[in-house]
Amino acid sequence: MIRSLLLFSFAFLIFGCGSQSDEQTFDSSTLRRATPEEVEALVEAFILAEDSSTIRIPEGFYELKTQLILDNKTAIRIQGEGMDKTVLSFRELKSGGEGVKIVGKDITIEELSIEDAPGDGIKAQHTDGITFRKINVTWTHGDKSKNGTYAIYPVQCKNVVIDSCIASHSKDAGIYVGQSEDIVVKNSLAFGNVAGIEIENCDRAEVYGNTARDNAGGILVFNLPGLPKGDGRQTRIYDNDIVDNNHENFATPLGDGPNGNTVTMIPPGSGIVLLAAKEVEIFNNRILRNKTYGVAIASYQVTGFPAEAPNWSPYTSDIHLHDNSYDRGSLFNLPDLSRELGQLVSLYNAHGWLKTQDIIYDGIWDESVSASIESNPMRICIQEPNLESLRFTRFYLMEGEDNIDSFSDSSPFQQCKGPSVDKLSLATTKKYK
Amino acid sequence: MDVGVERFVKKGFTCLLLLGLMISCAPQASEQETTSEFIEEVLAPEEANGKFPYRRLSTYGFFAGEMANLSPNSSILPYQPASSLFTDYALKSRFISLPEGTHASLDGEELNLPQGTILIKNFYYPADFRQPEGKRRIIETRLMVHEEGGWEAYPYLWNESQTDAVLKVVGAEKEVRFINQAGEEQVINYLVPNKNQCKSCHNKNESLAPLGVQTRHLNHDVAYGSGTENQLAHWTKLGKLLGFEGKSAHPSLVNYEDKSQALNDRAMAYLDINCSHCHRAEGPASTSGLFLTYGQKDPLKLGVYKTPVAAGKGSGAHTYDIVPGDGDASILLHRMNSTEIGVAMPELGRSSIHAEGVALIRDWINQMEKK
Repeated sequence: MIRSLLLFSFAFLIFGCGSQSDEQTFDSSTLRRATPEEVEALVEAFILAEDSSTIRIPEGFYELKTQLILDNKTAIRIQGEGMDKTVLSFRELKSGGEGVKIVGKDITIEELSIEDAPGDGIKAQHTDGITFRKINVTWTHGDKSKNGTYAIYPVQCKNVVIDSCIASHSKDAGIYVGQSEDIVVKNSLAFGNVAGIEIENCDRAEVYGNTARDNAGGILVFNLPGLPKGDGRQTRIYDNDIVDNNHENFATPLGDGPNGNTVTMIPPGSGIVLLAAKEVEIFNNRILRNKTYGVAIASYQVTGFPAEAPNWSPYTSDIHLHDNSYDRGSLFNLPDLSRELGQLVSLYNAHGWLKTQDIIYDGIWDESVSASIESNPMRICIQEPNLESLRFTRFYLMEGEDNIDSFSDSSPFQQCKGPSVDKLSLATTKKYK
Repeated sequence: MDVGVERFVKKGFTCLLLLGLMISCAPQASEQETTSEFIEEVLAPEEANGKFPYRRLSTYGFFAGEMANLSPNSSILPYQPASSLFTDYALKSRFISLPEGTHASLDGEELNLPQGTILIKNFYYPADFRQPEGKRRIIETRLMVHEEGGWEAYPYLWNESQTDAVLKVVGAEKEVRFINQAGEEQVINYLVPNKNQCKSCHNKNESLAPLGVQTRHLNHDVAYGSGTENQLAHWTKLGKLLGFEGKSAHPSLVNYEDKSQALNDRAMAYLDINCSHCHRAEGPASTSGLFLTYGQKDPLKLGVYKTPVAAGKGSGAHTYDIVPGDGDASILLHRMNSTEIGVAMPELGRSSIHAEGVALIRDWINQMEKK
């Protein structure tokens, strides 16, 4: 949709200079190089691991040509000597979709770094009880187009804890939790990624105390169609710093448009993005200096992709935004023009051309629920202090790109009660204390 | 159409030398040294005590006479799936060892193999593919053993002198040279998977499971010394199988290389044997929602106008897994047609492009009706 906005692509040439980051947390090149025998012993340790044991990985830089796979084991702790001491490099990996792969029950991985995996950094699948603690997953290529997809990637898991981790420079999401249940992402840092933290098709996720900075998008809550796990619901995002997420979107090569991956459509300058999300509470966050918008509430229809699938709805519904602080940053931090959603905000918002927005709502609603959006059929609840000083835009997109309209009136979305998202009590948080 | 030799497969010496310089061959050389030392060390004699896995392949006593001939002793049965998983053009000789006095049994689609069964798969390259029966080099033998707790996989790496193979759980890398069907010299960087990588493909609900040894792949005619016969009927005759009720009573897939078969049947057979071990509800790629088993009828699950989920750079510049009528705009084909790790599918088992497979799937997508 909004193809006609491509007319404005000339503006991209003028204003589209997104920021770039190749910041590294520490320099791994000074570490002792592990010998080939030590590397082989490490691969073997993963293969031969016995239940209820610890795999200790001494200080050093381990250059791996094969994957580290922990398969169907219970109660294993994988322990390095610190994220700046034990580094697993997958730069020379010859095959396999991820550097480290974990399947099992009650697994902890901690105190190490994972670098330069061609696909995903670390993936855990079908694991009940997976804790990532103090791990750093990154790419060290200067050229970010070579970077992998996800840094920390639990999928189809239960009882997931991501605690005090760092994820940077991934071409998709740094911390990506997919199709999982009962999740805590806390005290972690995501920077230099396309998306900082992403919760996708998950039930019951708590995301708090994190910093998402210098990504194209800070924190994303998505439900995508056609997956074994349909709509996910109940995510709480609180006490996070979601700042300066103005990095260019490098999920596709510069100059190439988006492809079928939804994340390629995220405009640089996105704080929080909700897409087909259900029951999300967002509060006490500092949402600062994201140049396009602080929070976007969007339905899946904005992607222009087919929006029908079983056990899934394209609408975002039952959202409660309250007590967050916002700062639009400098006047010169102009909203994005490289992505359609950025163009929509830049050119059609209700406050004037090229004005950064605090909260946008695409205003696409399910007409079978109500004939009018004035009754707030998708139950979007916005109760921010000083709402009158914030820039809020609701778009009207349901009659095609030639009839786009926008409104600054947020009153239909203020008289509401937020969804009740129960506080989680996770089995995993009790373990390994 | 030479895209198949993009990254690892290089023609001639010059290219190889250049490649070697670029990726610094020093560590590779040292690894090969370690590998041969390792093999010397473990080739010490070993007793067949019934406790698997053995260190040496020869200890199992599968083969009569010289090991390199791979001539099965009388107790083991050769088998052949109708379609074969592409692994860098390696040829495979396959055998099944059933414990004495036992048999396999068939229940509709389900092929049950008794505990103690060993599947033996040898991967080799003829020096010249125009003479496949001529001089050859065996790279590895993979055993799948049906143990008390389920299936286990054990990879064995052959020595240079081709007298034996030894268990190598951490995998290996081997440079392989051969002359292809077109008479061109090829060099492939063959990767022997580490033990746990085996399950990346042999995975059913996170348990290790056979791939080719399934009813639909075995239910076809095979040429025996005594004449051509349905493979499962032959096994029945030998007393090795119960429950076979004739070919039509059980599912079967065509050989995707057989051009006399319908294009759709060939394509579905190809996707089933090459992709569906992961891309099915019970496989690790269920996360993607792309399901490529032969019986798949739902266009969305097959990838038609389906957007990717976690494909990352695997999507290239494309929007949908399959765009009917336009193979080259389809992510499915893009990933088959790449050797770039992170893009290439399947993720394991190949470092070159299967040009014939790509051509088949391109034709199949191109003839799909456009929306």
